[in-house]
Amino acid sequence: MVEEKIVCIGCPLGCRTTLRIDHHGDVVKITGYKCKEGRQYVLEEYRNPVRILTATIRTEKSRRPLLPVRTNRPILKSRLKEATLILVRLKAKPPVKVGQVILPNLLKSGVDVIATDDLFE
Amino acid sequence: MKLSDIDVAVIGSGPAGMAASIRAKEEGAEHVLILERQEQLGGLLHQCVHNGFGLFYFEQDLTGPEYGHRFAEKVKDLGIQVLLETMVTQISPDRQITAVNNHEGVLRLKPKSIVLAMGCRERSRGQLNVPGTRPAGIFTAGTAQRFVNVEGWIPGRKVVILGSGDIGMIMARRLTLEGVEVKAVVEILPYIGGLTRNEVQCLHDFHIPLLLEHTVTEIHGQQRLEAVTIARVNKDKKPVNGTERMIECDTLLLSVGLIPENELSRMAGVALDPLTGGPVVDQWRETNVSGIFAGGNVVHVHDLVDEVSWEAEIAGASAARFAKKEETEKEKKMLKPGRNIRYVVPQSISAQHDVTLYARVKDMEENVTLKVGDIFSKSLRVVKPGEMLKIDLSPSQLQQLKDDPVELSIEGSKRR
Repeated sequence: MVEEKIVCIGCPLGCRTTLRIDHHGDVVKITGYKCKEGRQYVLEEYRNPVRILTATIRTEKSRRPLLPVRTNRPILKSRLKEATLILVRLKAKPPVKVGQVILPNLLKSGVDVIATDDLFE
Repeated sequence: MKLSDIDVAVIGSGPAGMAASIRAKEEGAEHVLILERQEQLGGLLHQCVHNGFGLFYFEQDLTGPEYGHRFAEKVKDLGIQVLLETMVTQISPDRQITAVNNHEGVLRLKPKSIVLAMGCRERSRGQLNVPGTRPAGIFTAGTAQRFVNVEGWIPGRKVVILGSGDIGMIMARRLTLEGVEVKAVVEILPYIGGLTRNEVQCLHDFHIPLLLEHTVTEIHGQQRLEAVTIARVNKDKKPVNGTERMIECDTLLLSVGLIPENELSRMAGVALDPLTGGPVVDQWRETNVSGIFAGGNVVHVHDLVDEVSWEAEIAGASAARFAKKEETEKEKKMLKPGRNIRYVVPQSISAQHDVTLYARVKDMEENVTLKVGDIFSKSLRVVKPGEMLKIDLSPSQLQQLKDDPVELSIEGSKRR
């Protein structure tokens, strides 16, 4: 039996919950939450903790040294650092329009990296 | 470029200024002009490359640049006139604006109404009085954010962050992902200054230590920062002897609060509320100076950009109506902060129309009741200084108001 601590971000209360997890990885008990939505959030956060990754990439032939980007859908939070190391190697060339795909299928996750701003020369 | 016959002039083009100008145009102001000191529209949104913008306004999770882009497109589509790289140096009480830029030199404008949308700036080391040497390597979190996200420089390799405001926590994550070692986030209060969402997604996700009830007591290093001493603090926020320890670092970021930027407001004779640092406004966001309106972080520092834009829209609409010489209501009831309320905005209401009040508490409390005079009460499980309270009131509720000033307060709940 292991314990995992997750803070609920559903409301300003920020309940500090504890999940007890058996050796199959199944949640046996949750304590510390104060509402149904909170319980649901914590469960989802345990089973599938995902985040939108935002970053900047280098540019060439532009007055602006960087282009801001993000993943178009959330990716597993355990892969954020790995994904960042891919983005470090990218370079954007103008013109780029906001929403344009910069890198498809990041880490074979099916998630694309898109520009979050226009880039001109 | 025609600069006479301006109906509404908006100072600043961040999330407040753009929203105000769009709303002013939509409300029927013909000639709307934005004055912006940077080379592009958007203000600070360009450096806020993280997501969490527009969750309420657009019901989408956008980054700062994307949020700004949507407004900037609309500014363009509506034919709102924009003067970039133009610095407003003075506003007079009779609404004369003096501005300078490289193309036209000194400009003098006399719009029919003005919206102040200058936003806010960060508190810096000077306002904290941290003892020690004065080496390089001490930045506000927002300055570091600009370096990393816009200019492409990493400010240092080993970082300590003082204060747990949202920008500080967001920079902790950003720097960690860029390969920088964030040694600790140090917060003098027993709770974080920013949103819980950021504590979880910026600090917990990357195992960055959060030291509550701690502060930096000394700065070390001659040319470049070499270390900071931190210590635990007691209930009076004073360092506890014997708890000091040194943390080696080359960079210290300060995320210790924001101050509305009101130098121009003061020149115009706009009265400021010492509790918010921003103009005293009525529910239409008009200041005490007739025809000068204000919205967004220049009025009070908001938690969310969505609220900034919404507030500025009120100011923009009101400024357009003023420019068209439409009468606004003069009858007003004052609002007053009561128990555990730090401030309330607007500072006065008409009591005839729907209104949304924004308030911030002084201290964290659990199981309390939020009260507005004797017309509104609501139980809340928790109130925190870092999370703004929002209260919608309808005319039917407001008509029952007897007191003037009306007091907002947080009352302890009755325990069974």
